[in-house]
Amino acid sequence: MSRAAGRLGLFLALAAGITGCQERLTAPAECPELCPGGESRVFDTVINPLPGSDTSHSGFVARQAAGAVLVSNGLFRSQDRAVYRFNARPDSIEVRDTLRAYTVDSALLTLNLIARDTLVDGLKLYLYRIDPAVSAEATFASIEQQLVPEAIIDSIAVPDTLNTGVVRALLQGEDLAKVDLPLGSGGVLAVAVSMASEQPSGVRLGSLVAGTGPTFVSFVTLDVPDTGSARRQSVTRAAALNTYVSESTTMPQPDLLAVGGEPSSRALLRFDLPQPIEDSATIVRATLELLPASPMVGLPTDPPLLQAKALLADLGAKSPVTTDERFIASDTLPVGSADTVRLDVTSIVRLWQSVDERPEALFLSLLPEAASFTRPVFGSTRSATPGAPRLRVTYLKPFPFENP
Amino acid sequence: MRALLLVGLLALQPAAAFSQASQFGVRGLGTPGRALSTRAAGTSGAFGLFDAESGLNPAALGGLAAMTATFNGTQAFRSVDNPAGSRSLRDSRFPHASFGGPVPGSPVTVGISYSTYTNRDFTVATRDTVQLRDVLVPVSDTLSSRGGLSDLRLGVSYRLRERTVVGGAFHVLTGSNRLESRRTFSDEQYLPVEQSAELSYAGVGASLGAVQQLGPALWVAAIARSDGDVKVDRDSARVSQVDLPYTVGLGLRWKAGSRLDLAGHGMVRTWSGANSDLLASGGTGADNTLEVAFGGEYVGDPRRPYRRPIRFGAHYATLPFPLQPGLQPSEFGVSIGTGVRFARERAGVDLAVEHVWRSAGDFEERAFVVSVGVGVRP
Repeated sequence: MSRAAGRLGLFLALAAGITGCQERLTAPAECPELCPGGESRVFDTVINPLPGSDTSHSGFVARQAAGAVLVSNGLFRSQDRAVYRFNARPDSIEVRDTLRAYTVDSALLTLNLIARDTLVDGLKLYLYRIDPAVSAEATFASIEQQLVPEAIIDSIAVPDTLNTGVVRALLQGEDLAKVDLPLGSGGVLAVAVSMASEQPSGVRLGSLVAGTGPTFVSFVTLDVPDTGSARRQSVTRAAALNTYVSESTTMPQPDLLAVGGEPSSRALLRFDLPQPIEDSATIVRATLELLPASPMVGLPTDPPLLQAKALLADLGAKSPVTTDERFIASDTLPVGSADTVRLDVTSIVRLWQSVDERPEALFLSLLPEAASFTRPVFGSTRSATPGAPRLRVTYLKPFPFENP
Repeated sequence: MRALLLVGLLALQPAAAFSQASQFGVRGLGTPGRALSTRAAGTSGAFGLFDAESGLNPAALGGLAAMTATFNGTQAFRSVDNPAGSRSLRDSRFPHASFGGPVPGSPVTVGISYSTYTNRDFTVATRDTVQLRDVLVPVSDTLSSRGGLSDLRLGVSYRLRERTVVGGAFHVLTGSNRLESRRTFSDEQYLPVEQSAELSYAGVGASLGAVQQLGPALWVAAIARSDGDVKVDRDSARVSQVDLPYTVGLGLRWKAGSRLDLAGHGMVRTWSGANSDLLASGGTGADNTLEVAFGGEYVGDPRRPYRRPIRFGAHYATLPFPLQPGLQPSEFGVSIGTGVRFARERAGVDLAVEHVWRSAGDFEERAFVVSVGVGVRP
């Protein structure tokens, strides 16, 4: 019996050795002999938006709600001025349950430089004091007429090596009068910012929405019988309003697709995938091709992003868009080029294929929205020149596995 | 009893009915299986028409003296050559399992077996360059297939006279084929593609067989089988119907002495019946096949024939599905084997090694196939 058990053990070991070997089945092959079903064929097709259904809609993000404000000097034959209005500075400060008057020793204005053309040197920012009643409806003319030499608070020479970051203007002594906020005036300081540089250029400055807004800090001495820390304090005021005004504004043309600008425009493109592709094709690449109406302007070293988002439902301008990063395609817009803009939207088109409820449409927008010098305009199905947008889809048909 | 349980468990494995994979099984319905026990495989199949544990001849079931379960596994080491290159491959399969025994007090023996009908296990890799958006892009394709057709046989034999046994069997041809196609592009802007499908097969067949002892040391066996047609569904939708072959075979066995037993057979299958169906589906067609085998078994001690006999044999066969129209593949194999019975001959282990050459034009294949079979007679 023990011999039989030994032999059975030997067999089991042999069987385990045989069946436990790792398989290796992949062999090199040549078609057509070893290719049942033939070779996978790849097809390429171009789909235009539904005629007349590609539209620009404006008014999404206003300039006062943008992620940055613009300042420029002759860039693209226009001018931009930033406008900040700070929260009111109180006339007195409460110390030990008593409101105390104070005297201002010095003041500090800080601005956040978000982007500049790093190829342009000699950047200087000019701070002007303007009417504290300034509002978001201010026009370029109403601001520009206040930018007189007497209104200059200070100028900030931005080092050529500084591309982004905080820049400051410190006011002391007689200069404090430039930001004086007398009793009974309401305590509101408003400033406008212009710029100068060796060549026409522009900068983007911080804003409230992005949490990069300016600050106005007053270093004060309180009228209290104390020599300690309670006597010397600082009063910091953030901006209550930020906006910018432009010398020339462009209105979207109805036969073209405008993206960006202020208030920002977005373009809605609707497609209809051919039924064979929608039903059974495997999409390997889908590219949205847009033809610019003119060369793309903007800061060469601060190009914006063109973004395409899948729609959750098609409600025209108010269509809700996805927040799922997988179905948002974005790419940098090449500044200075009039070449066809290409955006990889494979994931979005695959979504149209897999979820019937999703409209076969996408929304184009520009980032940063309402805060870019670049205002791309593309051809639409209504414009002969430039041509309509194109969706170029590369796909495979179902593999004929049943072919022996 | 534990060994029987082991056999049963192994037989239940999902991959349990596949013979050797081959590049010559890429087209058509695959590589035809040989429903042989390891004992018969040791003789290159020469004893297949007389072997009760093989699945060729239902009349051979009459050779079972007791209830018997057998299970066979193979490990193949292949070397593939074709115009695209060479590669060494290996695979493990379980090509044949059987269970049967005599009905006490009657001349009837019944049996059930599960074996490979055709095998479509392969993975082929190709490279190409395609023009996409006016740019040439290199691509890599992989087509994988796992599965094939299996033959579930319910057989019965009847001993008509002392020297005559006849048998019949009903065959259920079933199975599935899981296929997957992958394409990757060298340009990563194109997403890799993966497509898959499952082909399922269904058909029935019937076979008749007989074994006649012509003299004290001479036997003859014959079979005839019809498999009708097989219906092919892709993901539950009918895509085609393929005619399956008629099979006729004749075998001779001659006990040349107390120590030497010789056998041989010839078998013809009318696979050309599937030709038009396969061509209509985009295949390369099918040809009739011929199989001949010759082999023997030498026992050192005639009183103990199951104690390490030496088995040997050779076979030649043509394969039904050409890779190129008009160029039918063929195979030639030589084999040796042995075996042992223990536990009062209630259990046994058989071992066979076969070297096979296959070729068709520029396509060649060499393989060493190691087979292990276990039999239990509880």
